[in-house]
Amino acid sequence: MSTVVAPASLARELREICGPGYVIDDPAKLEAASILGVTPALAVEPATAEEVAAILRLANERGLNVVPAGGCTQQQAGAVPPPIDVLLYTHRLTAIEHYDPGDLTVGIGAGFRVAKLCDMVGASGLLFAGDPPAHELATVGGMLASGLIGPRRHGYGGLRDYCIGVKFVTGDGRTGKGGGRVVKNVAGYDMMKLLIGSWGTLAVITGASFKLFPLAPQRRTFIAEFSTVADAIEYRSRVLRSPLSPMCLELVSPDAAAFLPGDDRSNAWSIYVRAAGSDVVLARYRSELGKAIGREVEGDDESALWRALADFPRTLSLRYPHSLLLALSLPPAEVRTAVQDLESIAGHNRVQLAVMGRVGIGQMLVALWAVPASPAALAAAASAFCTTLGKDSSVAVLQCPDPLRPQISAWNKTPTHRRSMQAVKRALDPKDILNRGRFVL
Amino acid sequence: MNLPGVIDDLRKIVGRDAVLDRPEDVMLYEYDAGVRKSTPGAVVFPQTAQHVSQIMLVASAAGVPVVARGAGTGLSGGAISQAGGIVVAFSRMNRILEVDVENERAVVQPGVVNLQLSEHVAHLGLYFAPDPSSQKACTIGGNVAENSGGPHTLLHGVTVNHVTGVEVVLPDGEIVQFGGKAAESFGYDLTGFFVGSEGTVGITTAITVKLLRKPEAVATLLGVFESVDDAARTVSAVTAVGITPAALEMLDGWTLRTIEAFCHAGYPLDAGAVLLIELEGLREAVEEQAVAVSEVCMQQKAREVRRARNAEESALLWKGRKMAFAALGRVSPSYYTQDGVVPRSKIPGVLQHIGEVGKKYDLIIGNVFHAGDGNLHPLILFDMRDADQYERTLAASRDILQYCIDVGGSITGEHGVGMEKRDMMRQLFTDEELDVMIALRNAFNGDEVLNPEKMLPMPRMCREITGVSGNAVLAREGM
Repeated sequence: MSTVVAPASLARELREICGPGYVIDDPAKLEAASILGVTPALAVEPATAEEVAAILRLANERGLNVVPAGGCTQQQAGAVPPPIDVLLYTHRLTAIEHYDPGDLTVGIGAGFRVAKLCDMVGASGLLFAGDPPAHELATVGGMLASGLIGPRRHGYGGLRDYCIGVKFVTGDGRTGKGGGRVVKNVAGYDMMKLLIGSWGTLAVITGASFKLFPLAPQRRTFIAEFSTVADAIEYRSRVLRSPLSPMCLELVSPDAAAFLPGDDRSNAWSIYVRAAGSDVVLARYRSELGKAIGREVEGDDESALWRALADFPRTLSLRYPHSLLLALSLPPAEVRTAVQDLESIAGHNRVQLAVMGRVGIGQMLVALWAVPASPAALAAAASAFCTTLGKDSSVAVLQCPDPLRPQISAWNKTPTHRRSMQAVKRALDPKDILNRGRFVL
Repeated sequence: MNLPGVIDDLRKIVGRDAVLDRPEDVMLYEYDAGVRKSTPGAVVFPQTAQHVSQIMLVASAAGVPVVARGAGTGLSGGAISQAGGIVVAFSRMNRILEVDVENERAVVQPGVVNLQLSEHVAHLGLYFAPDPSSQKACTIGGNVAENSGGPHTLLHGVTVNHVTGVEVVLPDGEIVQFGGKAAESFGYDLTGFFVGSEGTVGITTAITVKLLRKPEAVATLLGVFESVDDAARTVSAVTAVGITPAALEMLDGWTLRTIEAFCHAGYPLDAGAVLLIELEGLREAVEEQAVAVSEVCMQQKAREVRRARNAEESALLWKGRKMAFAALGRVSPSYYTQDGVVPRSKIPGVLQHIGEVGKKYDLIIGNVFHAGDGNLHPLILFDMRDADQYERTLAASRDILQYCIDVGGSITGEHGVGMEKRDMMRQLFTDEELDVMIALRNAFNGDEVLNPEKMLPMPRMCREITGVSGNAVLAREGM
């Protein structure tokens, strides 16, 4: 659908909503803000949820296509959008709604940058557990909308476990809320769950509240290397059955190790165990983890290592812009077969494979690329792999070479009933205003 | 609606013996563990998802409201039918369908009793974490509908954090799947949305839950305090030293004396309040935390900190906590349990306020609650035969919940909104925020065949009419 409104009159109306300085119509700036090669007609920078609601109501009246944007770290996901009428930035929604370290909760605007949030609560000895890629750019709202976080998912749970409140404006311009600022709350529908991972297709998130955790004073990473993925997974299962409760438990494939800081490169399948605790507790980890542990990392190197693990998607897109990046969510017992299938499919199609992820809970990232670039080989590998997955598995395409974008919807996979998802979409965004055509249900 | 015709149709679906419609039979299904009553027209006992689907088709076609019911231990009226409606009771769908040890998941029918699942997998070193006080009786289907909690939710989260998939029968009879065995599934998280939807979206017929590995070590501590205030301040002080206990419960002096007279858990009779604190995890970590927590309690003027020496002593301390509701049943004909939540730092203030409310309305109010996550359970004692006392009880209850809202809290942490707190949703949400939720309900349950007049208030124009029976509801064990 193309826009029926001339940008000049739309720009004037948006300026009335956001103020004259917050509607961008400079062609150079708009071009720089392109989403998958589509340059938005206008961009807006609302400062309040009320302004967001006014923009979306206007968009509803006109049937415009609105793309919400936080730090733009995940805008490479999804299908190529139809003409974008309005790019809606959330980066001015940065109010701190509540923060009392004694409550171990914080409520902030959706435009708040994740790294800044970590620094803020870290100053009081607390941890914000979300560790998305490019966290210095990523916003709280974008992190929730994409649902993407990193290795801390193992020990601290997912966003769905510690996001305790959300404020938003629906696609039809209604201001909504779910949860609140207390850690236990069952009043009304759990809107947090609906919006996490909804990729901005239901509502524009304007603010959120989170549980915080005590910051572990001492951390240590233990690394075990194996010659096959089967051995690595067997070791993972041993760790899971042990009394240990590590913060993070990652599988890193030989080619994925090349994305880590220099000293951590290896040709092996590695299991990274990140633990927190006193010297006595860490000694217990050492004895439980046993002889398989070849290396230990601590201090700044340790922090840098985990930042690099969390940043894998960004590093991949910089190094191999024409790679395909799939996020998998599998029952944990199916990881071994899935990775073995990937190895053989990648070999068969002569594409490179890097696998990394939360091997204890079955949330893996799979990168495929070919040198020289070969979209056909990638497509063949991805299609072959997706047919091997069981009914409980799901797949999301996070990054995709342009020639393959039309095939994305064939690779996306979920066990969840599609018509029910479509009914939810119609209830909150009946005119399909938000992220039209990018995330096909 | 033509109920006799509907009942005939129901009998064709599930068999003659699986439908109750005689007044003396359906009367048993007119209440839950809360204070409201309403008599259903029929109670039907499905055995398969296909049964539930056919029941929904019949009910939808006839426009007869349907409510799913587990064990009826709910405290907010969630499982109570509209007058003349159909109760779908899940006592014949109580099988554990699958235990998947490798993935640490179980697939259960909704009528499986919460504790039975943990007992069933105990030999594997596994358990199901949500542990409502009613866990000996309540069903997992009910836990899913209400998003139930329990003492150990402080560390492990509530029901929604332990459900990865649900099979659901929609009001149009379609049997659908949300999520599965994976920890999360891409696409909208309809599993997470469904849990806690209080029977207003669909009826679940199979639930995939996480099983947790039992911790290596558990320490149960009892901090004894001279005053509620000292105990309340200790709650924040414990988290301030970087420790998240598995459970952190508070009982005030009046309540612990009442419990002690009933079940001899070993609580000190002259204390102002006690904190029951459980730590779990790696042996070495638990030892360090036990020392640190004891020190914090003493700094906050605890008289003493006792530590259970073995599993029996620990079980005895927990027995007192879990029997609290039963103990109160001995000293009062009825009681009303509230479920407000406040930010942890507001606990001292809210307890003071509850004390004042008790005086203002001339009522005895005990406090036994999940202090670690700020989830209060003030227990207001009353006699339902005394209409004036009943009214004062409801007023006191509203007063306490309003205070919770005013300090940034909520009206329910784990019991659900149901019938009883429906009108208070407007204090928590604006009309527009409620409209968004109503739009979502209507996307699934537009004719309100499923559990009508629950959770979400009616549009402002309509006056709410809900009957409250004056009959006594006896406090029962295991709530």
